[in-house]
Order: sequence, then structure tokens, then C-alpha cells
Amino acid sequence: MSDTTSVFPKRVRWEGDGTHRIPFLTYTSDEIYQRELERFFYRDHWCYVGLEAEIPNPGDYKRTVVGERSVIMVRDAEGAINVVENVCAHRGMRFCRERHGNRKDFVCPYHQWSYTLKGDLQGVPFRRGVKQDGQVHGGMPADFKTADHGLTKLKVATRGGVVFASFDHELESLEDYLGPVILGYFDRLFNGRKLRILGYNRQRIPGNWKLMQENIKDPYHPGLLHTWFVTFGLWRADNKSQLRMDDRHRHAAMISTRGTAGKAEQVTQVSSFKETMQLNDASFLDIVPEPWWGGPTAVMTTIFPSVILQQQVNSVSTRHIQPSGHGAFDFVWTHFGFDDDSEEMTQRRLRQANLFGPAGFVSADDGEVIEFSQQAFESKPFHRTLAELGGHEVENTEHMVTETLIRGMYRYWREVMEGESRGSSPACAGVDGANGSALCAAPGPGA
Amino acid sequence: MSQDNWVDALAAEDLPSDDVMGLVVAGRDIAIYTVGAAVYATDNICTHGQARLCDGFLEGHEIECPLHQGKFDVRSGQPTCEPVSEALRSYPVKVEGRRVYLRID
Repeated sequence: MSDTTSVFPKRVRWEGDGTHRIPFLTYTSDEIYQRELERFFYRDHWCYVGLEAEIPNPGDYKRTVVGERSVIMVRDAEGAINVVENVCAHRGMRFCRERHGNRKDFVCPYHQWSYTLKGDLQGVPFRRGVKQDGQVHGGMPADFKTADHGLTKLKVATRGGVVFASFDHELESLEDYLGPVILGYFDRLFNGRKLRILGYNRQRIPGNWKLMQENIKDPYHPGLLHTWFVTFGLWRADNKSQLRMDDRHRHAAMISTRGTAGKAEQVTQVSSFKETMQLNDASFLDIVPEPWWGGPTAVMTTIFPSVILQQQVNSVSTRHIQPSGHGAFDFVWTHFGFDDDSEEMTQRRLRQANLFGPAGFVSADDGEVIEFSQQAFESKPFHRTLAELGGHEVENTEHMVTETLIRGMYRYWREVMEGESRGSSPACAGVDGANGSALCAAPGPGA
Repeated sequence: MSQDNWVDALAAEDLPSDDVMGLVVAGRDIAIYTVGAAVYATDNICTHGQARLCDGFLEGHEIECPLHQGKFDVRSGQPTCEPVSEALRSYPVKVEGRRVYLRID
């Protein structure tokens, strides 16, 4: 039985050299998933860890993750933000259990090794042994140096109150990483105003992490899946739209401006516009344009691989993708506002946040379709999805009827995943050859 | 402050030599230090973790806590090295007639 006919192939087979047909196996293989963690989450990429406003005071910290690795974002006594790995240098314990808190130092409960808020090892109990009858017994060897046994420190970048981190200290700047186009949309939202945290939603979605990125790179579905959007006029076919990517196609922005024309003919093209259906509480849609929008009423930005930046009218949030095995991820929403918001605006943002999160009028749909996609992928991993709306190309567009952003992301995915691994033997040669890697099947002819 | 608060703690001949020892004086857990001919006393429990300084290491005028390696100046109780940031209470000491007295108010 060859790879192409087997239900459970060992290796990915792309149809053609494009990325418009995405193998189910990319969502179901543990081997591929581990390579994604290594290549996307643990090096060469900035990962989102949180907002500065979550840790305003010295000693404030937040436990979060980079990929699957537990990290702590903490503000030290000098006010600087550090990100350190939540793994004790001694016996490897994940010592920090609280989600948020304030501390002068970190102490692992197992043997009370203590660390500064910068991650330096500070104290080792009985390092110099124990005194008994005038003699000293035990203790660490004379050549043990605390300086060699701090917590793993991540490289940190902050911009506009948003904190990113990386285990890779050789990484390009955050600004270069985002590229000028995406940076522009980033700065539009995080334009220097202090942020105010409004609250969190957390959910575990039983689907591959990439499906969440794809969901927000897919402008095809909102008007079809999210009937709430359509019914109450938030998604209209006469919305002015743009799709933008960085040069490497890994990040993207979906920009839309709500149509102002009355009940235009186009509105009915997407789905039935139930003009007679009314909200009991119209305040969910009490939309007030804000000057910083600069036109667009919604901009959804996907920062590969770890975060989505949401502006849907007055509701703004970050959505952190926290992968957990190939078949699940935790999705953490941080709803925020701005320091200069009036109380009325804060209430408005909170009300509009009801559209989002695990039980949101709109977003509840996304968690389910991702789950049901993953179920099908697991059952027949030899198959593939189609992402051919708008053609086979990867390009910026002035409309939403295309899956070009998904194709763009997978073009980048293939570049990185099929490329040679940095600083070691080529991934697709030698040990990874004929019987090895799930990734290294040469692009075959179109099926 | 009355002179009556001097408490007889121990015999001078029982003092350690350039070292630290723990003892209970008037119900308090006390660390007594000698540096050359000088004698000092502080609370024995570290202000940071739950550890007894008499199990630690005296170097010059500094006592290093055995648990997290914070340090205090035994003359004043002031912290000199992280992670400790809070001073130890220190007690006046006098040696009279081969006895060591602490003033505890």
C-alpha cells in the first residue's frame, strides 16, 4: 500500500506545489505538531504573552505559555518586564501555579530554591551544608555557581503595551517581524494609550491550533456561518473590504468598513436579512465610531503563530492561541479598553464583548466548526481541505470572497516546515529520508 | 527604659568563638554571635523564609541564612544581601562578671 492510497499515511502529500489543498495530516500528526512547536513557537518567531496593563506594579506577574511551555511574565522592582520559564533549575518542577499575583521573588515549593524577578537563582537551601557538632555536612559542591542555574530567560519585546517573548535570542526585532503593513494595523489599535483590562474568557477548543489562525484568515465564513452577524446587519455584502499580508504571508489583516448605504440590494446576497427580527436589548449594537478607527469598523489581525488582535466595532481584545497537542488548543481572550474611555464606553465595550468568547453570539460558532473539522481530519488523514476560493494565488485583495490568506499562511508554513532545520542536519535528508519524517514527501503531481 | 530589662542569657565561657549559636532568652529565639572579642545578638528567625540563622554561616560581621543565602549585619540586624529586605531585631549585649546579658524591652 502506498502513501497516496493509505487512509493513515505516514507522510504529508501536497497536491501540486501550491497550498490550495491542505492535507488533513498537517492537523493530525504528532510529528508535524512537534516540528511546528520547534520551528514556529520556540524559535524565529515572537509569541504573544500578554498586556503590560495586566502587570502594572513591581512584583506583579501573570503565568501564561509560549507554545506548550509555561512562562511567567513579571514586572521587576525597576519596572522592567521579564519573561522567564516556569521550570525550576533544580528538579524541573513547574513551580508557579497561580495565574496572577504579586511577589518579591519566586520560590519553588519542592526544595525552596528561590529566584529573583529577573530569573536569577538567588538562594539554595543548605547550599553550604548543615552544621552539626561543629562540623559541616553535605551541601552543594564547591564548584556550584548560582549564576549558572537561573530560570530560562526569554527575549522580550513590548510595543504599545503588548508584550511578546521568544526563547530565541537571535530573533529579528518585533517591528521587522511584523513588517510595515501589519505594524500599521498593530499601531492603529495599540497607539500608545494606556490599556485597561476588562476581563477574560478562556476555552479549550478540541481542534488543531492552525484552524484558529485559518478561521481569522477566512472572510468567506462570517456572512454564512455567523447568522447573528447577518441577521443584525453587522456583516453586509456592501462592506468595503481589504485583505493585507506581510511580505512572508504569515500575518494578515482583514479590514472592513461597514456599508453606509441603506438596505442595499447586496445585503440580501449573502443570506436572508431578517429585517423584522429585532434584538430585545438593542444596546448590544449601540455602536459609536471612535476617532482612532480612521475609517475601518472592523480589523481582525492574525499575528502568526500565537495571537489574534480583534477590533470589531467597539469591542477590542487579544485572543491568545495556546496549543496543547496536535488536536487541541486553549483560547484565551483578553478584553480591554483604554484609559481615556468614559464609563459609558467601558460599558459599551463590555456589552459588545457578548458577541465574542466561548459563548459569544458569534464566536461560539467558530469553536464548534473547528471541533467538527478536526473530527473529520482524524478519521481520514489521507484527505485534504480545499482553499481555492479566489484562485490558487497568494495576494492582497480589495474584497472578501477569497481564501488567499489561508493559502498565504501555508505557503509560509511549507517554507519553514520543509526547510532545513537551523544549525543541524537538513531536515529532509539523512535520517529524515525515505522512512522518516512526515514532512518530506516531495510535492507530487496534482491528484 | 529601665536597667531591669537586662536579662542573664548565658555564661561567657559558653559563647562560641567567631561563630553563631542559638538559644532561648526570656522566651525568645535568639542568635548570639561573636566576632573577635565582640558579642552581638539578634532574633534567630530569618525575616524572609522560615529558617534559623544559627544554622547559617557567619563571615566577618555578616550572617548568611542557610535557606536562601540572604545576609544580615549582625551588629545592626540590617539586611545586606537579597532576598532579605527586612531588618532583624537586634539586642544590646553586655558581658559582666563572666555572664552575658541581653537587654530585652
